[in-house]
Amino acid sequence: MPDLISYLQFVLAPQMLNGLALGVSVILVALGLTIIFGLLDVINMSHGEFYAVGAFGALALSALGFNYWVLIALVPILMIPIGVLTERFLIRRVYDGGDRHVSTLLLTFGLGMIAEDLLKIVFGPNTHRPENPLPGAMEVLGVFIPTYRLFLIAIGAVVIVAVALVVYRTRLGAMVRAAAFDRNMAASLGVRVGWVYSGAFAFGVALAGLAGVLLAPIYSVFPTMGHDFILMAFTVVIVGGMGSIWGAVIAGVLLTQVQAISSLVISPVWADPIVFGVMVLVLMFRPQGIFGRIGHA
Amino acid sequence: MTDIMHVEGLCIAFGGLKAVDGVSFTAERNKITTVIGPNGAGKTTLFNLISGALKPSGGRVIIKGKDVTGKGPAALQEAGLARSFQITNLFFEMTVRENLRLAAQRLEPVRQALLPLRRHGRAADKVTALIERFGFAEKAHEIVAALSHGEQRRLEIAMCLASEPQVLMLDEPTQGMSHGDTEDTAQLIRSLTDEVTILLIEHDIGLVMSLSDHVVVMHQGRKLAEGIPAEVRADSAVQAAYFGHG
Amino acid sequence: MHDRLDISMRANHVFFGILVIVALVFAAFACFSGDVFYLRLATEALILGGLALSIDILLGFTGLLSLGQALYFGIGAYVSALVLREEPSFWLAMGAAGVSVLLAGIAGGLIANRVRGVYFALITFGMAQVVAKVVYNSRELGASDGLIGIPVIEIPLGLITLSADDPLGFFLLTLVIIALLYSMSAYLLGTPFGRIIIALKANEKRVPYLGYSTWAARMAAYVLAAVIAGLAGALYPMLRGFVSPELLFFATSGDALIMVIVGGAGTLAGAIWGAVILTMLKSVIGSWTEHHLIVIGLIFMSAILFMPKGIVGMLKPFVERNLLRNSARQPKPEPERTAL
Repeated sequence: MPDLISYLQFVLAPQMLNGLALGVSVILVALGLTIIFGLLDVINMSHGEFYAVGAFGALALSALGFNYWVLIALVPILMIPIGVLTERFLIRRVYDGGDRHVSTLLLTFGLGMIAEDLLKIVFGPNTHRPENPLPGAMEVLGVFIPTYRLFLIAIGAVVIVAVALVVYRTRLGAMVRAAAFDRNMAASLGVRVGWVYSGAFAFGVALAGLAGVLLAPIYSVFPTMGHDFILMAFTVVIVGGMGSIWGAVIAGVLLTQVQAISSLVISPVWADPIVFGVMVLVLMFRPQGIFGRIGHA
Repeated sequence: MTDIMHVEGLCIAFGGLKAVDGVSFTAERNKITTVIGPNGAGKTTLFNLISGALKPSGGRVIIKGKDVTGKGPAALQEAGLARSFQITNLFFEMTVRENLRLAAQRLEPVRQALLPLRRHGRAADKVTALIERFGFAEKAHEIVAALSHGEQRRLEIAMCLASEPQVLMLDEPTQGMSHGDTEDTAQLIRSLTDEVTILLIEHDIGLVMSLSDHVVVMHQGRKLAEGIPAEVRADSAVQAAYFGHG
Repeated sequence: MHDRLDISMRANHVFFGILVIVALVFAAFACFSGDVFYLRLATEALILGGLALSIDILLGFTGLLSLGQALYFGIGAYVSALVLREEPSFWLAMGAAGVSVLLAGIAGGLIANRVRGVYFALITFGMAQVVAKVVYNSRELGASDGLIGIPVIEIPLGLITLSADDPLGFFLLTLVIIALLYSMSAYLLGTPFGRIIIALKANEKRVPYLGYSTWAARMAAYVLAAVIAGLAGALYPMLRGFVSPELLFFATSGDALIMVIVGGAGTLAGAIWGAVILTMLKSVIGSWTEHHLIVIGLIFMSAILFMPKGIVGMLKPFVERNLLRNSARQPKPEPERTAL
């Protein structure tokens, strides 16, 4: 019996909390993806690169002397105009073509390639590790957890709840949901649909950038960091249901917990195949995910 | 047997709404049976149930003595059924000829599917014949999207005939057509009864009266009345449904 | 029966024919100048062209975007490599690769064809990533280094015997094989079976009412594409002497997809042209700068924004008009044919 408790206290709980820290970041990225898909009906294959840009942005700005705490707000804000420009000048051009899903997927895929190479040019191909602003560990209910991860969970949760509240409880959110549901109707009711779309896309990539800033001190920063992360994010979005915010949250927590706990018993190299396996299974048997509506695809 | 298609107690519900509630009727061989009813009566849903687009929750569909209830459209095609659509559902980016060829290639044996289509086989001849008969000679190589609405509706019917069905289901074939086109289409439909049994959905009462051998009236998912056109017209329940509070 | 789709396919043949002629001229030059590097590069371009061809069959004709075709390319390559290490026989390697991707394609198709559209794209992506990671972590398959030391093989072709080491000979052999894969695809797409595939892209909802199962048609197209990708992949270890997990990763699928878009989706020939153009570009750009991804990415995005039909797609109407004029000039016995 005491062995079980020590196992829980010293192995399982910390692992689950670490998984939660990762999960919160994955949810932030996945939220961006699902909002962009739910609102604009666009598959953003460059989303991982926006995540990387956030991390690199934090790196660059902190070298300029900005304090880490400022960066958490500053980097996402700086990413908003990038998002608006991307939506306005690239995505909107192919939006009304025949195969919107295919052309936006391909277009953003190309964009991602360019972004990745740009990062390599500007920052070099090497891995960077920014300083952890909250080193050390704290004890919570007898469990030791790195302070920074605790902070990560807290702030991530706050942002996620804020996003949900804005989308579901504010007038702004209502306008956005109206525009997603029926574009023409919303326009005729006076909603500035063009701005809503740009804003939603910018908001989505800002969330990804925020995740990049938050995770930079824990995971390293390198130009291809977007790739692996985006696969996890896509899986969360699919399992949770494309376009569903609660789906992204629940699936994000579930999947990262599955990954965290399973890496206790099996080699971590199998973690990715398992996650993809889950995605494939969900796509086979319940393609709309937990909360999604299949009408959207 | 003079009846070629027999529908018994077909039902389907969407959520709490019984879209089709226990409808039964018989379509007699080489006759035109028309289904009419006010909007929302369930006519197209009934067609969907018979043609395999929807699976009924109860009831049976029997064609040529075979029970085909709940089978998909491909199996129903096999059973000798062909169906046209209320909202034109052609291959818009292809030409008239290509559309007809797709519909007609069913006539060739499946084992020849990996061989080039025979220049003078059953399918090729059928396409030529249909182009002739439906007046598409000038427009055979036009993209369907460029055709007029009336021409597209005509092509819908031609596509159905390509597979040489025994039962032809036409869902509002004259929808959106001009008066002249409607007349021509009515004549065309009448001329088809030698080869096929026709089940029709129509809104144009004049057409219904002049074309139909048998009329089935639907209202709120149920069969309200049936009989020859004159009988149905005189039926007070039918009148109430159309002109009364229905 | 000559309808517009037949003319369209014939226009594709014109472009493919031009490619073959260019290839032969290039081969002649290379032969005279004693070149080895460019011949091998061109051979690699053709092999990737096979992968691109398989993507085009799905995207340009069936209307399915597969983001994981490299899976079958890689399986073909690995199986071929494994066979060649034991028994350096060309025919055995090709045969084994063909059978393996046939089975893999059926398995993959059963999984992927349960969904369509975006979900299909993501599931094919996921499948390729999973297998790629498994291969990457498998020591039996050489892990991240892959399988090296593939022997140079002798290829008996009846009258002559080629060595895989002979750049000119192997180039010509690859050209022949790719031409065969192209011809087979073009032929099948012109049959009733092929027309149903094309109908899937045009209006999938109507296809069951023609009397066909859409699932069966999609499976057939998918397996066909898988086999083509696999046979092309089987040539890879013969050329390079090794295989590595990179062949299965998304970068390979993505590159091939770019080849199809730039060359022209739905033209078959465009896929091969795209492969040649992209490989050439990569080589040229690679000699100036390490950052070829930006250039490729820009070209790709420009293609989607400004030239969505691709190079062959844009040039085809001119060829089609000529072909139509030629066929209209000849007297035809069918009475319903009108001059266009």
